[in-house]
Amino acid sequence: MSEKYAVLPCNGLDKCAGVISREIALRLCGDAGHEIICPVFSRIAELKYRKIISEHPLLVIDGCPTRCASKLAAEKNFKIAGKITVTEEAKKSGIELSDTLQLGEKEHALIGLLLNDLKTPGNTSKQPDEREGESYHFDYETFQKGKFLFRVPVNKDIFFIENDCWAYVSGNRARIGVTDFVQQNLSDILFFTPPEMGSEIDQFGEAGEIESSKSVFEVISPVSGKVIGVNEALIQKPELINENPYELGWIADLELTAFENDKELLIGFDQYFEIMKRKVMDLNG
Amino acid sequence: MDKKVKVIPCSGIGKVFGFMAREAALKTVYELCPEKAETVCLARIVTGDQEVKEKIEGSDCITVDGCPKMCASKNVTAAGGIVIEEIKVLDTVKEHKGEKFGSPSQLDADGEVVTGEIASKIADRINEVK
Repeated sequence: MSEKYAVLPCNGLDKCAGVISREIALRLCGDAGHEIICPVFSRIAELKYRKIISEHPLLVIDGCPTRCASKLAAEKNFKIAGKITVTEEAKKSGIELSDTLQLGEKEHALIGLLLNDLKTPGNTSKQPDEREGESYHFDYETFQKGKFLFRVPVNKDIFFIENDCWAYVSGNRARIGVTDFVQQNLSDILFFTPPEMGSEIDQFGEAGEIESSKSVFEVISPVSGKVIGVNEALIQKPELINENPYELGWIADLELTAFENDKELLIGFDQYFEIMKRKVMDLNG
Repeated sequence: MDKKVKVIPCSGIGKVFGFMAREAALKTVYELCPEKAETVCLARIVTGDQEVKEKIEGSDCITVDGCPKMCASKNVTAAGGIVIEEIKVLDTVKEHKGEKFGSPSQLDADGEVVTGEIASKIADRINEVK
């Protein structure tokens, strides 16, 4: 971390992980002269902070999986150069965080580790990619019709469109894919055509194709964005979409370009789950 | 009414007065009025967290702001909380002209004293309603 960063920590009020997030941010900004961004004030002082972020890469430090700092960055469409979630880092380091707000030896050790990591040149910028697989956690609600089981993730950061595609939004990025309804209806998926890396996709634009012996399904992107990653494993193993279209069977990662506008046309779990159930009943009687 | 009063400080990061707002709120809910008050994270309020929104909607709230931008007061009001008292750190600080309060991460002795005074004011207001 040889250059100066803009550091956006979570508010970190009432959880140990949040206190650690703030502590790291304050130390970075106190000792090394990086620019700190007040998470709540940044919402109204957009001009001030947008200038800072345009001049320095943005490091987001979330305390807990609620990921308020990432959400605030996404809300303003700030481009995230690096990201840390303290609870995940603690888990990786085998450190059990205190239930209180007091920082003890273990917590200070974790702070030291993370600060050292961040001070290693290049470490910050690679963190989003390294952690992308760990950032997406899915909890499911299920609906069964005969032998077919339909899972739908309930996480509140996952949005759907009626075309049976989903977007899991994290910071200024989103992972997209198809739902169980698609893979159950296509049956055995044989081919996957990914969207082109670097291409710009509009909301409801095509984001690749998947094909089974029954039909071809055009993946519809729930969000607008630039393709910054595709699930290359699907090219060799498209059947991963049948195994789990949310986790191993994801389609692509996008850098969001108009999420605030896109949100108006997205639906959450409750609405999609009902739509999907109706579709299943219509198809299967 | 058995709901606790919500004491909500501004984010207050990077400024000593913001840090004092936060410390005063925590001192109130964890030391002075643990049975009558609790705190809620302002970032969760502004990001629309449903659990937190339900918690503050229609509840008595005391906001503690470190600067005149009044982020805590404005956002709690916008989220449906009933702000029964707006505490401004600067009001108390003005009574201590010339003192040194510390840094955004460490309060000096004077800063601790003033933070304690602010916490007492918050606690007094809580005791009025509970």
